[in-house]
Amino acid sequence: MGLKLNIDAIRPGMVLAADVLSRDGKVLFASGAALEPWHVQILKTLGIAEVDVSEDQSGLPSPAEVLEYVRDFFLYVNPDHPAMQVIFEIAAERAGERTRRGWRLPDLATRRATNVEHLEDVFGPGQFTPETIVKHETELSSFPDIYFRLKDLLESPSASAKRIADLIAGDVGLSAKLLRLVNSPLYAPAQPVDTITRAVTLVGTNELATLALGITAINYFKDIPPELIDMQTFWRHSLTCAVLALLLAKRRGLPPERFFTAGLLHDVGRLILFKKLPYASTEAMIHARENALPLMEAERILLEFDHTDVSRVLMAEWKFPEQFRDSINHHHDPMDCAQPVDAAIVHLADIMANAVGIADGGMYAVPDLDAAAWELLEMRPTELQALMIEFDAQFEKTLKAFL
Amino acid sequence: MSLFSGAITLRAATPITDSEFKELRDFIYQRSGIWVDEKRKYLFENRFHKRLATLGLKSFDEYIKLLKYDPRSQEEMKSLWEIITTNETSFFRDIKQLESFQNVILAEVLAEQRKKGKFDLNIWSAGCSSGEEPYTLAMIISDALGLELPKWRVTITAVDLSPAMVAKAKAAVYGEYSFKTTTEAQKKKYFVPAGTDLKVKPEIARMVNFQQMNLNDDAAVRRVPKSQIVFCRNVIIYFDEAMRTKVARAFYDNLLPGGYLLLGHSETLHKISTAFRPKFIPGAMAYRKE
Repeated sequence: MGLKLNIDAIRPGMVLAADVLSRDGKVLFASGAALEPWHVQILKTLGIAEVDVSEDQSGLPSPAEVLEYVRDFFLYVNPDHPAMQVIFEIAAERAGERTRRGWRLPDLATRRATNVEHLEDVFGPGQFTPETIVKHETELSSFPDIYFRLKDLLESPSASAKRIADLIAGDVGLSAKLLRLVNSPLYAPAQPVDTITRAVTLVGTNELATLALGITAINYFKDIPPELIDMQTFWRHSLTCAVLALLLAKRRGLPPERFFTAGLLHDVGRLILFKKLPYASTEAMIHARENALPLMEAERILLEFDHTDVSRVLMAEWKFPEQFRDSINHHHDPMDCAQPVDAAIVHLADIMANAVGIADGGMYAVPDLDAAAWELLEMRPTELQALMIEFDAQFEKTLKAFL
Repeated sequence: MSLFSGAITLRAATPITDSEFKELRDFIYQRSGIWVDEKRKYLFENRFHKRLATLGLKSFDEYIKLLKYDPRSQEEMKSLWEIITTNETSFFRDIKQLESFQNVILAEVLAEQRKKGKFDLNIWSAGCSSGEEPYTLAMIISDALGLELPKWRVTITAVDLSPAMVAKAKAAVYGEYSFKTTTEAQKKKYFVPAGTDLKVKPEIARMVNFQQMNLNDDAAVRRVPKSQIVFCRNVIIYFDEAMRTKVARAFYDNLLPGGYLLLGHSETLHKISTAFRPKFIPGAMAYRKE
């Protein structure tokens, strides 16, 4: 039985005892969801007055059950790799922590149930390649040119902080998001930054242009219907990867913004797959879940290519910078990248984001860590624990900057 | 504060050495055509972990010896197939393909038979798992034939590698999970309650013959009655190219001229066979034997 609480009494960690519905009767958050700070924020924003939360704290899973649940997502990886061991510990601790706050481990049926029979692919079986899929997208709509105008300006002799700021400020949505990002803990400015001109000074022109690229890409995909993919979950995973990639890049003295944006866009090929082949890509998701395989592996089996093959074509078409593209397109095979360290950072960040995501209800097997890529990063496994502390200090507020 | 008292370790399973992995992989391949990629070595360890413990075995080497030389081998093979095949399905899964099948392929085949005055229809469901697919086909056929049904002889030969799956299919009783892609109307029309579960109606069930079969067993495959239609959905993804080529050939040989092969949603004969003429129907690809 649930307990009806006034919205002001609702705290993160509480578990919903009934679906929260929007005014038009759509399920916003399902019963059983453990509330995160962003849930609470949205509930307040929508003016929802009362929420049914669970008062029953009995039946919490035992530590052994939590461990087995988390282990199920680690069946594919090398269990003897010391870094993977630490990532497992991180995932288990986080899942354990969430269950103590009332999160119920999703049961097998929830993990598997999907009915996507109403979805229809743009292309018939066997009638598509990464090229034809991307072409279908790029012929329909082009990537917003704000980023290219920025790039052109940056490369021209007349570039100045003022001209760049003026250009960005011309795009209201973009400047608002950039300002929120620059004011987030990622930069933690001493004084609030309230103009793009100041943001340019603080972050740098090239860096700000790179962030603008990520934000523009998110905006580009904002219209994907929710029945195709849960965009909230998708961007949460992407942003987790982005923040981790940024932190890893900082450790090595590499430009953090480039890695932040690469992390943010590393799965962008998947969005195109969902738009063009919703049924086939859902089949891949089901196959991955049923066979405890990473999603990428299931895509390869069912489609004969994976989401990085799609992003390779897409980002070339969009003329994103080459080194940037490579770090994304090789995040599953980092050692094949011309700059393997770049790809290794996104590779590790993605694996960790998958592991961290288990405690957020993530459903997919954690991909295996490339041992050579790990060597390149010259890290001690225990450093990953410290990385997560930094991550936690920054993530939720950064997420808010994006919502 | 950690939730876990003491150290937690990622490794839970008995390790498999490279040579043990290769030996077990080759054994499985030879017996079933299922190819286990090197990348799945750890997944393999984890899958077999409980089985080894149940049998009281200390290593994969002991397990391989049991499979190869022990009198219990035949019995153990049943568990082996259960461990390595996990494909779950549901009634009326991939409805767009099934609708196209009914409206185009089945309609054409039935018309052809009527023209010849031959009221029989043979379908081979290869890799039928727990039976949802062949029963769904029987339901579609029953719907398509309507009042004509009694004068037709419909035989769906449904085979699967796993004896456990075949036993479940024969029982014809299904729980909630099998109905996630099934409408209430379909449930009412084709099932009767069996406790909290549902049982396939006998007039549907009688069209389907189940048997355990290994698609790598040439002699067994040749005994399947010649068919007008072969369904093989989400099976060849587990095979390597050589085995895919082999089963495509077997389907071709089994089909009567003018017959059709249908694969799973994303599967194609690309790089496997050029013997068939591909025919695009909405939501699916059908392969015709000319």
